[in-house]
Amino acid sequence: MRAQAGMKLLTHNLLSSHVRGVGPRGFPLRIQATEIRVSPVDFNPDFVTRMIPKMEWTALVEAAESLGHLSELPRQLKEGYEKDEDFLRKVHHVLLEVEVVEGTLQCPESGRLFPISRGIPNMLLSDDEATS
Amino acid sequence: MSEVEGASDQLSEVSLDEKQKPASENVENSPSDSPEYLSVTIGATVPTGFEQTAADEVREKLGSQSRISKDRGKIYFDISVESLSKVHGLRSVDNLFVVVQEFRDYQFKETKEDVLKDFEDLAGKLPWSDPLKVWKINTSFKKKKTKRKKLTQQNSINKEKVDDEQGDMGAEKQITSHTVEEVLETIENQDDTIGETPILAYSKKISEIPSAIEKEKGVNESPKEETESQVLKFRVTCNRAGENHCFTSNEAARDFGGAVQDYFKWKADMTNFDVEVLLNVHNNEIVVGIALTEESLHRRNITHFGPTTLRSTLAYGMLRLCSPQPTDIIIDPMCGTGAIPIEGAAEWPNCYHIAGDNNPLAVKRAANNILSLLTKSQVKESKAFWGLPIDAIQWDICNLPLRTGSVDIIVTDMPFGKRIGSKKRNWNLYPSCLQEMSRVCRPGTGRAVLLTQDRKCFAKALSRMGHLWRKVHTVWVNIGGLHAAVYLLKRTSQVFVHPSELEHEKETF
Repeated sequence: MRAQAGMKLLTHNLLSSHVRGVGPRGFPLRIQATEIRVSPVDFNPDFVTRMIPKMEWTALVEAAESLGHLSELPRQLKEGYEKDEDFLRKVHHVLLEVEVVEGTLQCPESGRLFPISRGIPNMLLSDDEATS
Repeated sequence: MSEVEGASDQLSEVSLDEKQKPASENVENSPSDSPEYLSVTIGATVPTGFEQTAADEVREKLGSQSRISKDRGKIYFDISVESLSKVHGLRSVDNLFVVVQEFRDYQFKETKEDVLKDFEDLAGKLPWSDPLKVWKINTSFKKKKTKRKKLTQQNSINKEKVDDEQGDMGAEKQITSHTVEEVLETIENQDDTIGETPILAYSKKISEIPSAIEKEKGVNESPKEETESQVLKFRVTCNRAGENHCFTSNEAARDFGGAVQDYFKWKADMTNFDVEVLLNVHNNEIVVGIALTEESLHRRNITHFGPTTLRSTLAYGMLRLCSPQPTDIIIDPMCGTGAIPIEGAAEWPNCYHIAGDNNPLAVKRAANNILSLLTKSQVKESKAFWGLPIDAIQWDICNLPLRTGSVDIIVTDMPFGKRIGSKKRNWNLYPSCLQEMSRVCRPGTGRAVLLTQDRKCFAKALSRMGHLWRKVHTVWVNIGGLHAAVYLLKRTSQVFVHPSELEHEKETF
């Protein structure tokens, strides 16, 4: 039985809907997962520390919560988080270890649904829907 | 100079020329007895244009300075024999060989007859013994190439073992066959894969084996070497380039090979050889070498091929060109079977990689290649179901579903027009691509490495984006006979504004 990889929340944090007219309101996509996988990944505190500034924190917390993996993450980043290993481990878990194998991503503005199948989100739009 | 070698695998005591340090007195079969301070010259073939990148990797991983040959696509460097296993860990190298002798300015005689006679005479005069020692050590690193059907038969036997703990490296052969087996299993489940990969998959593992080799005496020697009465089989491969040669590569290979056969009493075999002797002639430069790789390493991480799968060595070179920093988010928005992100995830695991394509078949293959990589790393480190920092997405390059300025690096193989797409489509595609890439790429620090054969179209598209992209470096490469270029671009610090939102004409640099 071959294990199936899934979309990580780090990736989700970068994804934004590109339906015509939506612009920056296409972020963040709402996740609905029917199959989730949790797979361990080597913890690298430097990686996590440096990645946090590149993330939209609120969106990350919301996404984790919607999957039931909030893990007591604070809604707002606290100062000095770089030295809090406990905190970094939780962020690591949420960014890299929780994977959506089956489900949908929904554009918050237009409601358009993008399927996730076998871990791969399909973000293709029809010509009508796409931004010119 | 060297002494005459026997027909068996026993290598006798040799005396080296002044340039080399003295070897130990007792030279036997076992790799662990070989003189570790013996220095050898290794030749490596690399994708044309990436010689400097390969030299950088050699300096970084082996600490050796490289010479870049005038014969394009080759570099040479010296190492001590104990570093030999590390050489197999080089990712920018297609093939490796140990240099027997180099002639920087070979004097060819006038007639073909004389030239070929010289090649025949050469065979007996070359310093074979050290290179052969290196060859032998190298052979002990890897399992002898088994016939493919034997491996297929092992499939069912080894299937059970795949999930077993493979913590210790003592079971080198077992691990090797698992890796190969898994690759084969994947191949058999797919439609249009090319079956040349089995041996390639394990080359990655060779660099993990050195400590086991050094500790165990002779345990990992292949069965062939244990039967001392077995005569070595060989072939000579001649590559000739140059305008003023009066002979062909076939003639040189034939005559030189004949003399080699007489000298060593080896058996000539074109397909099932133990020793591959290389005779490389480039104008007045001749290099005689012994191959250390059986098949090219350049497809190493790809088990599911597509119509235009990029060489892993080229993918590695392109990634290296943009100097990935830890935590960089690296995307390939036209990933095909995922050669670039896969190489990225394997070599730069402290970055985050995304493989994207609009073709569902391509994305599926990329995802399968990711799974294969996952499985390989699981076996290597006994980690069942661990993850890697890489995801696959189906998307449209002209309309990327990514936040503005969220990506650090873009590395991709742009459609050539000859193999996929068309020149006419490139005319529209390239400007849209570049624009969308400039939007998602982080201003100031972001960069892109783009491979394309349609240089004219690319140059035109780029000329209109001088305010967003700055061309920093160009590498001229050769992709299956087609001339192409790899461009390294840096993203300017200008924030992206959609053209429709501009009130006046864009400034151009």
